[in-house]
Formats: sequence, C-alpha cells, structure tokens
Amino acid sequence: MSSNDPVWAEGLIKRFDKAEAVKGVSLSAPQGEIYGVLGPNGAGKTTTLRMILGIIDPDAGERRLLGESNPRNASHRVGYLPEERGLYPGMKAREAIAFMGALRGLDWNEGRKRAGEMMEQAGLGASVDKKIRQMSKGMAQLVQLLGSIVHKPELIVLDEPFSGLDPVNQEHLESLILAEQARGATILFSTHVMAHAERLCARLSIIAGGLVRFEGTVDEARGRLPMRASYVPVKDDAELPALLPADATKIGDSWRFTVPEGGAETLVLKLIQTGHGISGLTMERPGLHDAFVNIVQSAKAEAAL
Amino acid sequence: MNLTLRQTFIIARRDFLAVVATPTFLLFLLAPLFMIILGGLGGTGASQVAQSSANASRIAIIATPEDEADLRAAEKRLRPLLDRFGGPPELQYVPMHADPKITAYGLLKSNKADYIAVMYGPLEQPEIVHHPRATGSSAFLAELAEQTLRTRKGGLFGDMTLSKATVTATQTSVSSVGGRQTTGYLAVFTIFLVTLLLAGQSVGMLAEEKSNKVIEILAAAAPLEAVFLGKLIGMFGVALLFVGFWGGLAAIAVTAIPELLAAASLQPAIGMPTFLILCGLYFTMAYMLLGAVFLGVGGQAGTIREIQMLSLPITVFQVAMFGLSSAAAGSPGSSIARFAEVFPFSSPFAMAARAATDASLWPHLLALLWQGLWVAITILIAARLFRVGVLKSGSWKSAFGFGWSKLA
Repeated sequence: MSSNDPVWAEGLIKRFDKAEAVKGVSLSAPQGEIYGVLGPNGAGKTTTLRMILGIIDPDAGERRLLGESNPRNASHRVGYLPEERGLYPGMKAREAIAFMGALRGLDWNEGRKRAGEMMEQAGLGASVDKKIRQMSKGMAQLVQLLGSIVHKPELIVLDEPFSGLDPVNQEHLESLILAEQARGATILFSTHVMAHAERLCARLSIIAGGLVRFEGTVDEARGRLPMRASYVPVKDDAELPALLPADATKIGDSWRFTVPEGGAETLVLKLIQTGHGISGLTMERPGLHDAFVNIVQSAKAEAAL
Repeated sequence: MNLTLRQTFIIARRDFLAVVATPTFLLFLLAPLFMIILGGLGGTGASQVAQSSANASRIAIIATPEDEADLRAAEKRLRPLLDRFGGPPELQYVPMHADPKITAYGLLKSNKADYIAVMYGPLEQPEIVHHPRATGSSAFLAELAEQTLRTRKGGLFGDMTLSKATVTATQTSVSSVGGRQTTGYLAVFTIFLVTLLLAGQSVGMLAEEKSNKVIEILAAAAPLEAVFLGKLIGMFGVALLFVGFWGGLAAIAVTAIPELLAAASLQPAIGMPTFLILCGLYFTMAYMLLGAVFLGVGGQAGTIREIQMLSLPITVFQVAMFGLSSAAAGSPGSSIARFAEVFPFSSPFAMAARAATDASLWPHLLALLWQGLWVAITILIAARLFRVGVLKSGSWKSAFGFGWSKLA
C-alpha cells in the first residue's frame, strides 16, 4: 500500500448511532488499475467509498484522494456513480450529463457536445433529447454513468455499477470501464457480483463486518482455497471411497473432492494401480465466488465467537 | 471563476430553469391575484397607521396675543359645527417672533410634530401654507380669520369678505411624519408579502433531491454550502422574475396613470430612488435569510408529510418577524424598532421601514453587512445540520462549532 496511490485509506472508522459500520478499513488502489471493493450487503462498502470521497467524514483514520488529504479538493478530478442512482426526471439526457460534468468543472457546452458523442457510442443516440423520466431504468443508469465520466476524470468510483442492468447493458458497462482504464483512469468499484470483479479487477479488497478480510489479486483470493477435483472412475466399487480423500462425495458418476496438499499424482497412481482407472479427471481452483463465500463465512464465524 | 462559485451558479441555473421552464410556473405567476386580496388586508392595516398619523396632525396659527384671544373664541364657536364631520386637526397657537414666515415653514418641516397647515400674518391678509392634501384645514384657518374679524367689527357684513387669505401649498417632497410611517409600513408589508410568497417555497427545495437521490451526486461534487447557496440563488432568480414581471406591470400602470403614485402618497425620508434601491436590497436579504432558515429546516425533513408539518411553524415565524417589523414601522426610534432593526431575521423589514422615516444612509450600509453575515452564518449552519442530520457525518455538537469548514 502506498499513500501515493490515487486512492489510499488507513484505518477508516465510521459509527452510525453508536454502531460501528466500518471498523478500520485500509485500502489502496494503484494508478491506472481497476480495483474492486467486494463484500456482502451491509459490509460497509458504500460507507467506505463515501468516506474516501469526502461525502462523509470518518470518525477515525486517514485518507488521501489523488494526493489530497482533503478529498473535496480533488472532486473535479473524480467521477462518481453512487449506489442509489439519482437524476432529475425532468431533465433531458444530454442536459443531465452536461450538468454532472459542469458540477465537476467541465464547460457546459463542451459537456453537451461530449454527451451526444458518448450516448451515440453507448447505443443511446436516439435518446439524447429524451427526458430521464421517459427512459428505462437501465438507460437512465447508463446516462448517469456517462455523466460521471464526461469530464474525463483521473479516478472513477462506481458503487454497485452493475446492479439493475440487463446482461447486454452489463457488457456495455464492462467495455466502458475497460475503455476508461485504457484512457489512463484509475477505477474503484464496489460489487457483490463476483463475475464482474473476476473479469475486471487487477486487485481487490473483500470487506465483511466493517473490516477488510482480504486484500490482493483475484488469483491470490482464489489461491486461499485448495484445488478441487472431479473424478470419474473406470470401475466404481465399494473399495473406491476408502482410496479417495475423506471429503469425497459422489454426484452422478463422478466423485468430487479436495486435491490433497501434496498434489494429485500419488492418488492418481494408486487409483490406476488398484484397477479403478481414470475415465475422467478435472482439477481446478475454486472461483472468486467460492473464495468470497469462504472469506465472508470465516468472518461471520469469527464474529460469532 | 472559483470552482465552488461555479458549482453554486450551476446548481442555481438548474433550479431556476427547473421551475421556470414548466407550465406550473404560469400558475405561480398568477399568485398576485391572491396577493391583491391580501393587499386589501394590508391596506386596512396601513390605513389604520395613516389614520393614527392623521390623528397626530396639527394645524397652527402664528399670532399676536390679541389676535390669539379672538381666534380662540372664534375656534370655540366653529369647531363644534365641524366636529361631527371629523373636525379639523388640533389647532395650536404659536407666539409670533422675528419672521413668522420662517417659523411657519419650519413648523411644516418639523420632525417633532406633524403640522399640515399654518397661518400667519395680519388677519385681514393672512398667509396660509399647507401640505398639498390639507386644503380642508387651510380653509378652516381662513374661515377662522374671517369670523374673528367679523366678530370684532360687530358682525353682519353680508357677502363682504373681511379677510383675504393667500393660500400656498408646499411642495410634495416635504413629507409628513404620518406619510413616512405609512411608507415604512407599506415597505414592511410589501417585502413581507413577497418574501412570504416566495421564500417559504425553499422549505421543500431539498425534498426533490432527497427523493430522487440527486443529493448524493451534488454532495459528492460540490460543498454542501455551495449546494445550499446555489439552491437559494436559483429560487431567488425565480422570485426576481416574479417581482420583475409584476413590478414592471405596476411601473407601466404608474406611468400611464401618474395620479396612482400621487394617491399612494409615498414620502420616504431618504428619497424615493434610494428608498427603492434599499427596498430591493432588503428584499434580497429577507429572502436569503428566511430562505436559508427554511431550506435548513426543510432539509432535515424526511418525508413530504414532515415538510407539510413544518409549514405552520415557518409561517408563524414569518408572521412574527412581520409583526415585530410592523411595530417598528409604527414607532420609529423606539426600543422595539431598534430591536427589530438589529435582530437578523426582522432586520431587513425593519430597516426598510427605517429608510422611510430616517434620512441617514450609514445605518443601512451597516445593516446590509450585518444581514449578509447572517446569511452566511445561516447557510453554514444549515449545511452542517444537513451533513450531521441527513448525511450522518460528524456530530450535532460540531454543527454549531466554530471550526467552519472551508468553502473551497
């Protein structure tokens, strides 16, 4: 973690009505990377992002945003899509985007011009002069996202950007995020949908119960769990379960179990020697989803102690 | 331009257009119909002030002791005949000194009492000077001179006139105490009414942002102080459009029918152009001050129902400020007037009334600075309360602390 990173926070604490929502979160998003903040509902993701952006002040801890100890001083270099989407229903889409850009220091006319171009690229060209209230929820959400990046910010913070979008629009959004990264922007986004994080994030933090439970790359997160094997024997008899690891369970024709710590070679050799043979064998790391569930459940168990 | 200032005006622009570019704005513009009805009520109040000032009017005769005795006797005979019609104002006899003409004009310009007509000189050819609308009192004085001479000469002179008075009406710029108080009251009432109609709307201004969640975008992009000030300026722009529209129509009416202005008898001590500029500035301050309070209070409301519930205390607060300022207009220079002038939320009204009765300019400069300071303080406190109460950032104690957050 480096305090020179575009986003840096150390020991952030926030209490609401004496209950600690965030209990000491530290994170750091490196320049030009896509950084994920993952966590179950109520984990403290949104509160953490709002503290980092300076919308609310932490009760304790430090934060730096684009090198500024007061995040408000960097607000014109930041784009933000809040979890609770909000646009003025009576505003035309182009005006809404220009308005959001103008709030971040972009010239209003330039904002209007860019809004038209961006909407065209996002497949919303026909809706440029539609009022927000005339648009679908997904379209309005894309408009808001375009509004949060129209001023070409150095840092883009997206709070649950995929929620409420259909798969096609989710694809649009992923492309847009990657395009912004290619432009040079650093992106920080929160989600509890692991597939997006797995595809997009270079690094991520998993927050649960107001604390960071994991910080690292997607592979490092997945690496916390042992590999899993799916084995289909040539001959399946009563002796086979005794040869397999203790957690082996049979689903259909295949046996599922955790690959032993020393590797699968010894086990495979034994299965061949005993005549059970190998009709099929796959071994893979658990996905981020499993790692996430494992981390969150561990946190819950720890809290229950 | 400083980014915070830019953000303030961007928010103001959005709010202004959001209100003006809607069909409902036309309904809003029709509000003066309601205002005319209330104006009738206000006129009653103003006429009461005017009536009380009429009761305080005086007429005077500058006379020698010999003439005074005869004039008193004549007055004693004539007055009962006229009292049933309201009667002439109280007559005071002023001893004649060096130059009665100077004394007469001095009385008419006096701030201590409201002399509306003065007679001086020999009873055969008296000089009467009076305010333009005091022709009745002037005629009464002339008749007193005539009756006094007739009595002296034994009466019965047919249609022969013994006293030939020269009557002179003073310039309209010579204002009376009553006229000034009436002007002061009208200023208070007008500013109050327009503020009541327009500033009260600010109570629900944050409701839109809270209900459609735009507040998060605004709060993330701009300091809350800029959000609050921007919203106030936006609504003030709407108010200016409203006042400009109807004020323009009123100006056209006055230009077309000049008698309307003469009938209004507006006589501010500070002079009409300065008075109008000050009224404009005090309206701005009244709007900003009360609007900031309402915006701050309304920002704390979570639902439309809560906002509706807040309407009553807000209206009561406004009426209280109006009552205080009306009292100040009715008794210039009194301790209640001084209090109303200093208390920030009644100050704009009371100072407008003061402009009508007091010609000095410096108190207004001081008052405008004072009120401007309170606009800033109110917006800062409102923003901090919003940050604590709604955004749940910081503590209630910190909202009233002295470590004011920077606007930039």
